[in-house]
Formats: sequence, C-alpha cells, structure tokens
Amino acid sequence: MKLKRGKPKEKFSYDPQKVLKKLEDLAYKILEEVKAGKNPYFDVPTRGLSNVYFDEEARLIKLGDKLSRRYFLNVAHARKFMQTLILMAYVKRLVSEGKHASLREAYYANKHTIPGTHENTFEDQSESDPIIEDLERMLGVLREEMHITADRRGYVYGDIVIKDGEDEFNASKLGMGGWAVPGTVEHIQFPEINVDYVLVVETAAMADRLIEEKYPKRERALIIATQGQASRGVRRLIHRLHYEEGLPIIVFTDGDPYGWYIYSTIKQGSINLAYLSEKLATPDAKFVGMTMDDIKEYGLEHVTEKLKGIPPDKKGGPTGDYKRLIEELNYPWFQNKEWQRQLKLALKWGVRIEQQALANKSLEFVAKEYLPEKIREGKLLP
Amino acid sequence: MAEARDLFKEFKVQSVSEFFRRNAAMLGYTGSIRSLTTVIHEAVTNSLDACEEAGILPYVRVEIEELGKEHYKVIVEDNGPGIPEDYIPHVFGKMLAGTKAHRNIQSRGQQGIGISGAVMFAQITSGKATRVITSTGDDEIVEAWVKIDVQKNEGKIVKKIKHPNPKRWRGTRIELEVKNVKYVRSKQGVYWYLKLTAIANPHAHIELVEPDGKLIVFPRSSEDIPEPPVEMKPHPKGVMTDDVYTMAHRSKRSTVRRFLVSEFSRISDKKVDELVLYIAALRLINREVTDQNLKSQLIERLANGEVEKVLKSFGRKWKKVVEEVEKIMEKPPEKLTWHEAEEIVEAFKLMKFLAPPTYGLRPIGEENIEKGLSSILRPEFVTAVTRPPKVYSGGIPFQVEVGIAYGGEITNSEILRYANRVPLLFDAGSCVITSAVRSIDWRRYRVESFDNAPLVVLVNVVSVHVPYTSTGKQSIASIDEIYNEIRLALMEAARRLAAYLGGKYRRLYQIRRKKIFEKYLPEIARSLHILTGEPEEKIKEYFLRLIESKITVAQEGVSEVEVEEGEA
Repeated sequence: MKLKRGKPKEKFSYDPQKVLKKLEDLAYKILEEVKAGKNPYFDVPTRGLSNVYFDEEARLIKLGDKLSRRYFLNVAHARKFMQTLILMAYVKRLVSEGKHASLREAYYANKHTIPGTHENTFEDQSESDPIIEDLERMLGVLREEMHITADRRGYVYGDIVIKDGEDEFNASKLGMGGWAVPGTVEHIQFPEINVDYVLVVETAAMADRLIEEKYPKRERALIIATQGQASRGVRRLIHRLHYEEGLPIIVFTDGDPYGWYIYSTIKQGSINLAYLSEKLATPDAKFVGMTMDDIKEYGLEHVTEKLKGIPPDKKGGPTGDYKRLIEELNYPWFQNKEWQRQLKLALKWGVRIEQQALANKSLEFVAKEYLPEKIREGKLLP
Repeated sequence: MAEARDLFKEFKVQSVSEFFRRNAAMLGYTGSIRSLTTVIHEAVTNSLDACEEAGILPYVRVEIEELGKEHYKVIVEDNGPGIPEDYIPHVFGKMLAGTKAHRNIQSRGQQGIGISGAVMFAQITSGKATRVITSTGDDEIVEAWVKIDVQKNEGKIVKKIKHPNPKRWRGTRIELEVKNVKYVRSKQGVYWYLKLTAIANPHAHIELVEPDGKLIVFPRSSEDIPEPPVEMKPHPKGVMTDDVYTMAHRSKRSTVRRFLVSEFSRISDKKVDELVLYIAALRLINREVTDQNLKSQLIERLANGEVEKVLKSFGRKWKKVVEEVEKIMEKPPEKLTWHEAEEIVEAFKLMKFLAPPTYGLRPIGEENIEKGLSSILRPEFVTAVTRPPKVYSGGIPFQVEVGIAYGGEITNSEILRYANRVPLLFDAGSCVITSAVRSIDWRRYRVESFDNAPLVVLVNVVSVHVPYTSTGKQSIASIDEIYNEIRLALMEAARRLAAYLGGKYRRLYQIRRKKIFEKYLPEIARSLHILTGEPEEKIKEYFLRLIESKITVAQEGVSEVEVEEGEA
C-alpha cells in the first residue's frame, strides 16, 4: 500500500471576524432580554458523560443537545453569568487586538475585586477555565480561535513549509528538534507540502530516533511527536493536515492501554472535549503499532513489561492498566475484531510493549524495517 | 377528735409572728439574694394590688441603697390610693390580716403574710422599724415608723409625724432596713424579678435604682388597668378541712346548712341532703367495718353513687345515724368542730358536683402579654395565647396563657414562669412549666435548637389555687390538666412563630438575593459595554429595573417566577 496525499475536505477557515460576530450577537441577545424585562440567560451545552454520544456515521464522540440555562436572576448562576460576560469582553479585546493569552493569563487579566465588595471576579483559575470551555461550546468556536492558548506540547518534523504570521519556514530545516507546535494553530498555513502522510508518534524519544534515521525524508513522512497525550494544538494540527491538506494520518504509540487511548483521542475525540470533536478529531486516522501481535511477530516476548494494576479476576481488581483495558473494550469505536483481539490479548497476557522495545532488534530496525514494512503491507488497525 | 381540736387551739394560740420567725425560710426569706427579692416582691405586690383595686395606673419606684456588708435600705414608692392613718398598723403589722387572706380569690400574694412579713424580716435582721410615708391625697402626709409586736401579732407605730400636703401628693412610700441580704443582678435577684413583673404587668411603670445609683426603667406599655379579681365561692372539691373550719367560724349564717349552700359554689339544699347521707355512711363504715378490704369496697361504692344501698347494708340503725348527722347541719356554723369539717371534706371527695365557675379568673390577656414582652424585651416578633379556663382535680378552675417573643434584642432562650402574674424565680427544674416547654419539639416550629434560639417563652398559670410543689411556692406541680393546657397554648403560639419565621426567612432571602444580583452589576455593565457599546450607566439601569420588577421584597412574599435551575 502506497500512502498518498488525498483531496482536501475542509478549507482553511480561520476568520477572527466570525468569532467577534458570535460574541457580539450573544451580548446583544442578553442586552435585548434585559431591556425587555426578561431574565437574561446563556444556553450552555451540558458538560460531562451524560451529554456525550458516539456518532456512528461520523465516527466521532459528539456532544449531545442537552443545554443548561445560566440565568442572571438565579442565586446559583449570577456569579457565573457575570464571569461569562467578563471573559466574553476579554476575548473580544484579544481577538480584535490580535493578541493571544494563555488560560492562566486570561485568569490573571480578569481577576480583580468587584467594586464595593470583598469578592473577586475569579477566585481561582479553576473558575475561569470552565467558563472558557463553556464559551467554546456556546459559540461553537475553539478556545484557540478566541486567542486563548492551551499548553503547548509536541513538535513537527518533515518537508512542509509552514506559514506562521510573518514567518515562513520549512519544517525539515529547523534542526533535529523540528518545529514546536504552538498553543494555537488556527492561523497556521501550509504553502508547500512535500510529504505523503503524517506519522504521529507518542514519545519524543521515538520521534528523535526516526528523525535521526532520516525516516521522514526517505519515507516522505511528516513526523508529529505528541509527547504523551496529544495537546489540543497537535490534535487540531493533525485534523487540519488531514482535512485541509488531504494527508493520511498514521498513529504510532506504545502497545499499552495508555498509548491506545492516545490514538482513540486523536481519532474519535475525547469525552471532555466532545464539543470540539468535529474540529479536533480525525476519524480517518489509522494505527500502526505497537500491537500485541507485534510481540509474536517480531519476537519481542522477552522485552515486554507487565501491565500495572490488579487484574479483574484478582481481589480488588480491576485497577490501573486492567481497568482502562476493560473500558477500552467497551468503547464503541473499538467494537471491531482487530481491536477486540488486541485488547483481549493484552488482558490475557497481562503485558505491555513499548515503542522503544524495538531497539532490542537494532536502533534502525524501527525506521528501516518495522514501520516501512507494516505501512507498505497495510498492517494497520482501523 | 377532741385531740384534733386541742391541737388546733394550740396552733391558734401560737403567735403568727412567732410562727414567721420559725418558718422564715418557708415564706421566702431564705438565702441572702432570695430574701431581698422577697422583700421587694411583697412591697411591689402590695402596690400593684392597691392600685388595681383603686383603678389607678401604677407607678412603682424601687430604690436599693447599700449601707454595709449584706446591709441594705429598700425603698418602695407607689402612686397608689394611700393608707388611711388608722389602718397603718393593721396593714404593716398584722400577719394574715391582709384583705385577701381566707378569701377564695386569685391573688398575687403568696402566703397571706404579705408586706407584714417584710416588716418582720427587717425587724429581725436589722432591728429597725419600717418607715411608712403615705397620704390618701388629702391635706396631710403621715410619716410613721412601724414595728411588729411579736407576742401580740400586732403592728404598732413607734413614732409618727404629720406633714402638710399642699401638692396633694397621693401614694405610699415604705423604707425597710434589712440585713443578711445581698443585691446581685442574677436570675434570682431583684432586677430580674422586676423585669419579669413589668412584663406581666404592662399597665405598670416600674423603676429600679440599683445600689450603684443606676436607674432602670420598665415603662408602661398598656393603659388598661386589669379588673380586680372577683371573689369566687369555693368549690367543694377544692377545699381542705382547714378552709371549711375557718370559713364556718367566720360565717354569719344561721346554720351549717345555710353556710354550705350560700358560701360554696355548686352546693344546693338537695346536695346538703346528699352530704348528710354520705357523712352518715362514712361514720357507719368507720365505726362498724374493721376489714380494710371491705372498707375500701364500700367507699368505692359510695364514690359510685350507691350511698343509699351502702347505708341500708348496715340494717335499721342507719336512720339513726342520719338523724345524728342532720343535727350538725342545723347547728350554727361557728359550732362546727374540726372533726365535723373533716367529715364534710371527706364526703365532698366522694360526691359529684358540677364543675366550678371560672368567671373569677383574671388572666393577663393576649394583648397585654404582647405589649409587656414587646416593650421590655424589644423582640422582632411577639405573640400570645390565652386558653379558655379549665378545671383540674375535678373542682379547681385554672387558666393558662403563654407568650412567645423572638429575635430583636433577645439574645438567648429563656422561660419566664408566672403564677397569677407573679414571677417564679426558683425551683425551675421541678416546675410543670419548664417540663411542658421542654416537651415541645421546637424544630417543628423552625426553631433549630431551643437552647440557642433568641426565644423567650412566657407561661402564666392562673388559678385560685395554684398547685405549688412546695411551701416555697416557686414551682407548679405536674398536674396533667395543667401540663396539657400549657402544651396546647405553646403549640398554638409556636405555630404563629413558625409562620412568622417562614416569612421572615423568605424576606431575608429575597433581600440577600437582591444584593447578590446588584453587586455583580458593575462588572456586567462594564463587560456588556465592551461587547455592545451600550453606555454602562444605561445597562445598569436596565438590570436594576429587571431586579426590581422580578424580586419583590414584600410582606406577602415573592412574585418572582423561579426558573428551573440547570446544571451549573
């Protein structure tokens, strides 16, 4: 199987005016309600598992249509109502001035004592973060589109040209460290793409290995290191590279419940950010490894490690890895025979296998044999 | 029976004054704090009663001066009718001479000892005579020093001066010098006693000057002078041998029969005939029957009304005995012996009578309780319940009233106990009022914890014969009828309190809500201004109008449409 760049399904869509309009429309709605003597409210899509479902057709974790109304004239809501408006005003300033702020900056910028009281607008960052999430869900825009950035994590290496504001550069000519993915990738554009697919790698160590082995150049691949759970920026970048640039996405993680969960999040989205799945998730992503079958296939039995936690048949179990395995067995998007097989084998054997375990063969084994072979032969999991 | 008579004679011979000396404790003169309170009580009661009878709105001023260690001068002055010169030794000197002794009347006085007891106490502790200054409002003021002749049970004026009264002052001022007493501002002290008295007598203006010169005023809050209590003829079920004996000897009726019919309630000629049969039957039983079982069986039959059958069971001699007893009824009442009085009371216990009349009871009244509690305690809520009169022990009328005061300047919980308007300061633990108040589940009435609530509960038990637990007359016995009446009254008052608290909390809640919304307005207005460009002041105005229209802080309650609260 030869991986090729396909046709784009989405267009570069970043438009600050759109966000501003949404903010102002909502603010006018509130103002009009008050003028009319009505108790003004925000309709906030409900957070949490109860309002999340798996859309089989789109193959995405999606937010349900449950709303909770946040009224001004409600003792339990009034403070949050105020906080919502404060952050809306803040976002308006950020976007119109073209500035970005981190979640923490957004918190500090808006924390002050309410005039005439001893009460602060925000007592803690744990008060402002959820309001920003609420705004994302209410307005249907990403935090990043509101110029509020998340933690940055992950980097990119490969032969593509990235346009970040004034700067334009090739991501294979920035040294071995590649290009660090910023908190916000909305405004990033890709004037030139000379790769056939994206390989998403869980650990930085493995990404570094592949870069050193010149894998990106030889295989015409773009390496994205997630460095653990993929950050929102990375997930959004993967999504955009797939849908806007037509690049196939292949994920390479450790062979353990945590690695598979990283894959699941990239592919289907997460429960916490279900409202963003359509912008963050990439259901077309495929999984290359590590799998339980790899252990037998490549003779890695002696470099496996035991799963952490208590197995389900032991007293107090299941906990740790076992618990997560059983959860994953029940995920709707893992209801296929390939994944059920991997998960059940892991449960049966009680072992995990790390990406780095492939170094047991030789340092270049992963770059020259394992990945090229599996990808060429299409030994990928859905 | 001759023995009993002799005993009583002996008792009569003993001077009541001496009796006082020996029984000072029983009369309330026990302990240094309580003794002082009792002195004040007797003097103030005298003043209030005198004003009541004369239809005067009372003004009572109490002054206490410290002369030395446990040595005080007590001054009580009133604007009452004054005492005519001739009566001074009588009023202050003779014990059991008070106008109410041996009258079946609801009274403040406790033992019929009254003010003479205070004079006596002063005399035996300090040796000093009591100084009385009084005028009936005519052209002279009498100043007299009164002592009690302990042997003769008589008051005597040891010194007397007359002064002109150009301003027509009217009233009485008495000054007593007492030792072995102590002024303390405690729950048993004078201050507390007067405060409680003021609550139960809102028509009185009461002042207290404490030893350190501090003036405390309990102002009048009602202009209604209570009607003086009416004497009620005693009910046969409510009398003891002593009552019957004493009443008979004072009676001016020609025969015992006439005495019984006219001086008791619910006794008719027919009832006297019945009484004769009962006494005869009792005589026969006591004389002829030795077997205790049989005796009590027969007495039980008497109580069931089978008096004629019981009599006939003794054969023909019963008629003779009845004739004997009938003779008692026809003799002059002053000839009635102690034993015969005893027989009459014994028979009364077994006979059936109509319940006694209750018209003589004088409760404080709901309105006046509320006034008293309001003006002295300054609560935010007050209510009172006066129950209809009831009867206990088959023949003694009584009436219960309660008042509840909540919040305001009240800081802790308190039970104010009264018997016939007189505060009961001692023996709270054994009192039926305490147990009845404690038996209420106050949480059902929105009072989380009675002990920690700003709640004052007043209970007044009104009766001709308040059943005290002991001679100290400071706590009321646990009689079921009284206990139940107190509870019923308390529950009714507590329901009103609960309704008030419900509304109060709702109002407080609404005010708090309003404040919450209002405090966020500056932030909201600023933010909406940034978002929409509408001037901040205008936005604030819109929101304020909204708050005003949606949240009404009114007595009637809430007009706000409470919205469903979603997950927040």
